[in-house]
Amino acid sequence: MKKSDSSKIASVPGKLADRGGLLTGVAKQVSEDTGVPAAEVYGVGSFFHLLSRSDAKVRVCQGLSCWMAGSDEVLSQALDLGLPAEGCSCLAACDQPVAVLRDRLVLPSVGSREIKQSGGDWKKLTSDFLNEEGVWFGHVDSFDDSGQNLAVHLHGNMDFSGEAYQRALELSSDDIIAELETSGLQGRGGAGFPAARKWRSLCDQDKQTCYVVLNADEGEPGTFKDREIIMRRPDKVLEGLAIAALAVGAKEVYCYLRGEFELPIKILKNAIDEFERNDCFPGLSFHIHEGHGAYICGEETALLEALEGKRGLPRLKPPFPTEVGLWGKPTLIHNVETIACVPAIIRSGGNWFRDLGITGAGTKIYCISGHVNKPGVYEMPLGITLDELVEKAGGYVGELKAFSPGGASSGFLPASERSRPLDWKSLGEVGSSLGSAGVVVLNKNVSIRDATRETMVFFENESCGQCAPCRIGTRYQRESLDRYISSKEASDLSLVEDIAWEMEQGSICGLGHTASVPLLSARKWFPEAFE
Amino acid sequence: MIDNNNIALLDGIEVDINGNETILESALKLGKNIPTLCDDSRLDPNGCCRMCLVEISGWPRMAPACATKISSGMEIVTENERISRHRKTLISLYLSDHPENADELETGAPNELLSFANEYGVSNGWPHLKSRRYERPDDPNPFINFQADKCILCARCVRYCDEVEGVSAITLAGRGSDTTIATADNISLLESTCELCGGCIDVCPTGAMGEKMPFLAEALPERALTKVRTTCNYCGVGCQMDLNVDPDGNDGRGKVVKVTSPPAGTTTNDGNLCVKGRFAYDFIDHKERIVSPLIRGVDGLLHEASWSEAIDRASKGLLNVREKRGNDALGFISSSRCTGEENFLVQKLARAVFKTNNVHQCAAT
Repeated sequence: MKKSDSSKIASVPGKLADRGGLLTGVAKQVSEDTGVPAAEVYGVGSFFHLLSRSDAKVRVCQGLSCWMAGSDEVLSQALDLGLPAEGCSCLAACDQPVAVLRDRLVLPSVGSREIKQSGGDWKKLTSDFLNEEGVWFGHVDSFDDSGQNLAVHLHGNMDFSGEAYQRALELSSDDIIAELETSGLQGRGGAGFPAARKWRSLCDQDKQTCYVVLNADEGEPGTFKDREIIMRRPDKVLEGLAIAALAVGAKEVYCYLRGEFELPIKILKNAIDEFERNDCFPGLSFHIHEGHGAYICGEETALLEALEGKRGLPRLKPPFPTEVGLWGKPTLIHNVETIACVPAIIRSGGNWFRDLGITGAGTKIYCISGHVNKPGVYEMPLGITLDELVEKAGGYVGELKAFSPGGASSGFLPASERSRPLDWKSLGEVGSSLGSAGVVVLNKNVSIRDATRETMVFFENESCGQCAPCRIGTRYQRESLDRYISSKEASDLSLVEDIAWEMEQGSICGLGHTASVPLLSARKWFPEAFE
Repeated sequence: MIDNNNIALLDGIEVDINGNETILESALKLGKNIPTLCDDSRLDPNGCCRMCLVEISGWPRMAPACATKISSGMEIVTENERISRHRKTLISLYLSDHPENADELETGAPNELLSFANEYGVSNGWPHLKSRRYERPDDPNPFINFQADKCILCARCVRYCDEVEGVSAITLAGRGSDTTIATADNISLLESTCELCGGCIDVCPTGAMGEKMPFLAEALPERALTKVRTTCNYCGVGCQMDLNVDPDGNDGRGKVVKVTSPPAGTTTNDGNLCVKGRFAYDFIDHKERIVSPLIRGVDGLLHEASWSEAIDRASKGLLNVREKRGNDALGFISSSRCTGEENFLVQKLARAVFKTNNVHQCAAT
């Protein structure tokens, strides 16, 4: 890890992918090619599921929404038909269940008909949702058809004029950051950290080199907004990145997209070309890096490790990436949605953005899936309630029983919380979180216990394995629940609170801190499911 | 808050901030042992075992003492109810992913996890995890054995192989609770870059990395063996090593069943040994070992002799050659197992006594 040339290491995952994944002998070839020790190459390859199990060409999403839509059945049908299939973690297409990954392309709405039509040949597996160019989009809407009061405006037209960037060029770094501060923009990736504080931290440092990184490793079950933002408004994303780079003084921007985003990657690349044709951002370089199947790389320091070509193990914090980031340099790292809000803030002002929200600043892009009529991505004022969101999404299917407001790590809330504003503070008050605003609606037909088990399997599969509280804890919790399910003895769950405490206190990163939330919240709000 | 700029408080004791110390190092100077499993003075701090978490006022989360630099104004607490609860629960979790059968917990090297469990009064009582990790069972290498069940993934072995030996033969592989220690493509250590130095065994806190040496099969656990410090005589570097003697072996005369390196930082070899030093000790009680000088008689057979007889015979032979053939008919080759001083004496013998410059040392090629 210490001896090898950093740029050589960075190329390791890509070279493994080019050779078809971690097949026997490939680690040695990549080692000879890069000078990185073969064992280290193997360690990297074995970390990422798209590399370590590259023979699975069909991966059926086991995320909560797809599971509720029957992904178990789709998977067993695929296996019966002899497809090289396996289950996988959320594919960020919860609005179009069941999502299936064919090689690196996410196919929406795959059911038994599509599986049968493939005739057992994975290359022939397809979806009616793909258009003639093999592209698909999800459903999007907002509270404002005119788009005047939308920060991202998903149904607007792409704009490659770079107008907001031109405006930013007229401002000093301090002015740009002051505007951002006024806007009250909070990070949209999950933690809700004030964006301006990160920018300010970079500007305050005496530095030669710094980087801007886009976190597009969207993988939180229930969340698919970044996919839709990149598919529809890559212009906003890139312009936001360019403004950020301008403000903090970066010349290089790294975009890390999950490897399952074959279509968004293509669209983002085209958008970069488009801006380059107009020479909109002179002196700025964009680099695209594909992930290879690991939820944990959405954690910002794990993402940096993966960008550097290593196993995606989260780093100890502090120091935070704003001080010690990519290749040890100060790094500004933002979620797709956060950065996509920036151009509108620069163009229309921080006050305009702040006033868009109800209980917090700005509009918020909510994903909604599960038992609603029109699952999709909705740009709404921050702080609307579940009922308001679902009204926009065509109403409930069946009777509301529970909902998960912000991805798997936000746990479950009962129907009685339906009028609670969907923002960081209000949800935090009941031990939940807005997270990535991936709202999943569960009706009365869903077993909370089984839904909980699904999310626990997810965390167990996606723990990086670095620290014991999370590595052992996630498995322990899932095995405890399994013991309970077969025995119905409450004593089988007697240790879960203790272990949850330890995971929250002792883990290195947010995955371990929150992995027990689904189980704890389900037991708290739905005790009858565990009696 | 503390006023003085260069002071931190560690459990209420004022500590001068002088440079680059971690909390763990500062605590050690005060005689406080913060428990660790993944720490090793030869390696970069990793912070993954979570044993050494301490509280720092103003920090929302506990921080690893091994990886956190002590800085001015810090108020650090290394023992309290929260920390104690954390350590106990963590140990329980580790034990739940450790061999279920108490007899398997410590068969060789001292199991540091078990020591902490005893120290903190944690029993092995939680239901155990069902799933197993991969451990490369068919590796034919003669020296190093890996038992995944005992592995706590502190990665000391991987980091040692990488950072100290520069060999990088092993890696953390897989992820989540399936994470294990592997070679590239799970090949044998013999096919990998491994030099079989056994450093992975030495750094392993739980005995997951262990010796395959046949003597160990029936030996007592390491804690019951007597350690005898000696200097390795395989080469002139002078590595210190501990012969681990089973006092009951060889009918009560004692038998060397294992070689370990002294703790890092205590001797010149800093806890490191090579394949010969660590594993090539089976000659000690070997039945073919020559234990006294032998002189070939007129009958053509070797006969036991005393040292003075043997030296007398050798010197007569050498003088005889010189008389018949001249000084340069003789040549002296010393062994790489000799020290510098011994090599000096060999060339002295050649040049001053036998008047020849024909002198060499086998390692000088």
